[in-house]
Amino acid sequence: MTNPILQTKGLEKIYENDGVPVHAVRGIDLDVFAEDFLVIAGPSGSGKTTLLNLLGALDTPSAGRVFFEGTDLSSKSKSELASLRLQRMGFIFQAYNLIPVLTALENIEFTMMLRGIDKAERHARAQAVMEELGIAELAHKRPNHMSGGQQQRVAIARAIVTDPAVVLADEPTANIDTATGKALLDLMERMNSEKHITFIFSSHDPQVIGRGKRLLCLRDGRIDSPRE
Amino acid sequence: MILLNLAWRNLWRNTRRSVIVLTSVAIGVVATVILDTLSRGMIFQMLNNQVGSHVTHMQIHRAGFHKNPVIQNTIADPERIETVLRSDPEIVLYSARVVTFGLLSSATNSSGISIVGVDPERERSLTTIRSYIVEGSYLTGAPREIVIGKALAEKLEVGLGDRVVAMASAKDGTMGSELFRVAGLFETFSSEFDKTSVYVPRSSAQAMLELGSEVSEFAMLVTDPDRLAEISKRLRSRLGEEYEVLPYTDLLPFLVLQIELYDQSMVIFYVIVGIALIFGIINTMLMSVFERIKEFGVLKAIGMKNGRILFMVLTEALFLGIIGTVVGFLVGYLVYLPLSTYGLDLSAFSGSLRSFGVGAIVYPVLTAGVITNALIIIPLMAVTGAVYPAVRAMRLEPVRAIRYV
Ligand SMILES: Nc1ncnc2c1ncn2[C@@H]1O[C@H](COP(=O)(O)OP(=O)(O)OP(=O)(O)O)[C@@H](O)[C@H]1O
Ligand SMILES: [Mg+2]
Repeated sequence: MTNPILQTKGLEKIYENDGVPVHAVRGIDLDVFAEDFLVIAGPSGSGKTTLLNLLGALDTPSAGRVFFEGTDLSSKSKSELASLRLQRMGFIFQAYNLIPVLTALENIEFTMMLRGIDKAERHARAQAVMEELGIAELAHKRPNHMSGGQQQRVAIARAIVTDPAVVLADEPTANIDTATGKALLDLMERMNSEKHITFIFSSHDPQVIGRGKRLLCLRDGRIDSPRE
Repeated sequence: MILLNLAWRNLWRNTRRSVIVLTSVAIGVVATVILDTLSRGMIFQMLNNQVGSHVTHMQIHRAGFHKNPVIQNTIADPERIETVLRSDPEIVLYSARVVTFGLLSSATNSSGISIVGVDPERERSLTTIRSYIVEGSYLTGAPREIVIGKALAEKLEVGLGDRVVAMASAKDGTMGSELFRVAGLFETFSSEFDKTSVYVPRSSAQAMLELGSEVSEFAMLVTDPDRLAEISKRLRSRLGEEYEVLPYTDLLPFLVLQIELYDQSMVIFYVIVGIALIFGIINTMLMSVFERIKEFGVLKAIGMKNGRILFMVLTEALFLGIIGTVVGFLVGYLVYLPLSTYGLDLSAFSGSLRSFGVGAIVYPVLTAGVITNALIIIPLMAVTGAVYPAVRAMRLEPVRAIRYV
């Protein structure tokens, strides 16, 4: 078997809530492999978002380690982590993913601009990815003129346009209807199989959970019943 | 470019708020520009008035006269100087004067004065003093006429046609005196000048002071005052050590210094106005950052670094500063244009302005200094005002910011 692209060892996260410690993640050991299509399921408050944030180098663990492509994230500075996210990861959040004053095309170009890709190339790539995802007609629309599902498609386009190793999506379908959610999952699945991008997403919707190639159930910050 | 574009569009997310802060910047700039141009106008007027009415572009004396203006310190051979001046292509006009200190007495009172003996014909085009005559006329060329300031006339309680006696030490050390008849009264931009300067025919002054054909100074106008340094240098080398050639910058050093200092002191003024505006900018930019907390969270999550966030927020403020300044400057310019032609009548304050030698009507002057002060300092201050809001945006933790409700 190949080396995992993401690996956690004894991962813990304890929040301080008005002086009361909240143990959101309690000792998680997890290996995520390239081309995984991993769903993190679990009831509300079980630690899904917290775990995704730790995997995505957005937050630092209270104990334990996260290894990304073999390097220990705790050894990196904030700025190095930002570079890592920019270069190697894609993110899709539940809502408010897009910059409201930029069009869909500009939103997709934005991450490439941050990566220093020149204008002509980023324009071409943004258009190509929109074409691929079937959202070319949204190119010059701003987010407030798009439906929730359309916005999430643009967010997927933005996340994958830089060819990341992994895309982390926290309840990407929570704010959209079932049919649209299904289409969105189809899209992610296709990107997973065609482009070999690892997807890790969370959900508590049984329909979505059923789509995962691999399922991780969380309960009170612990892995409940792994099913491979 | 996307970042500039983004900053620009962010500015117009809350149009009303941006317009309010732009208006305050613009008003600050309008007020500052008008005040600045008027103040510059006042100083230039002080200088121009003195140069135009009496001092002229340049004067020649016997060496040392400017520091020690005693009557013995005269130009013994005025013809030689005239020859040099006449042959110089850049000297438009000149006139020889007799200048000394003395006392002017009427039947009731007396006052210390500066007596200026002039050639009325030549002074006509050399200076503007004639245009300040408010009663009677300027010297006509008749002997023993005197033109004095209205303020001096009031002090001496004399009017047109009245007799006054001038006294001053003559070249031979005796006391010279002469009876004059008041031919005209002037009222200039400067009450000080009105009280202390009198004009008499040069021949009368020469007779009274036992000078023969000697004079105290040559006053002159040149074709281009910006070339005074070169012209004076040339004259100096032609006339030699025996004479001093003094451009007005040497004759009125205090005023010239004031103009030089003005630019620097005005920078402080712009900075003070800028500081007042900074608070509006801080407020606006903080509100704008707080409204976008989730967005900053997403931007940081996808890997936008703090340097770029700083750049974006500062650019937004820079845009505010530049637009506000340009609008303010244009409005200020529209106010300035008619004022520079017709002047601002400050008669209500003319008493104090006259004591500074400005005159009652002030004409604002727009210089490069005004433009650079306004267009550089104010936008810079706007950027300064965005530093704290930008730091707040940089300090946001992506995870918390995205969760923020
Ligand atoms: N920033 C925080 N500060 C304090 N407590 C937090 C913070 N983030 C999460 N928690 C707490 O940690 C626990 C796990 O939260 P988390 O958001 O990871 O759960 P979740 O599985 O994503 O829930 P949901 O399905 O509602 O999104 C919860 O009890 C939550 O209240
Ligand atoms: Mg969650």
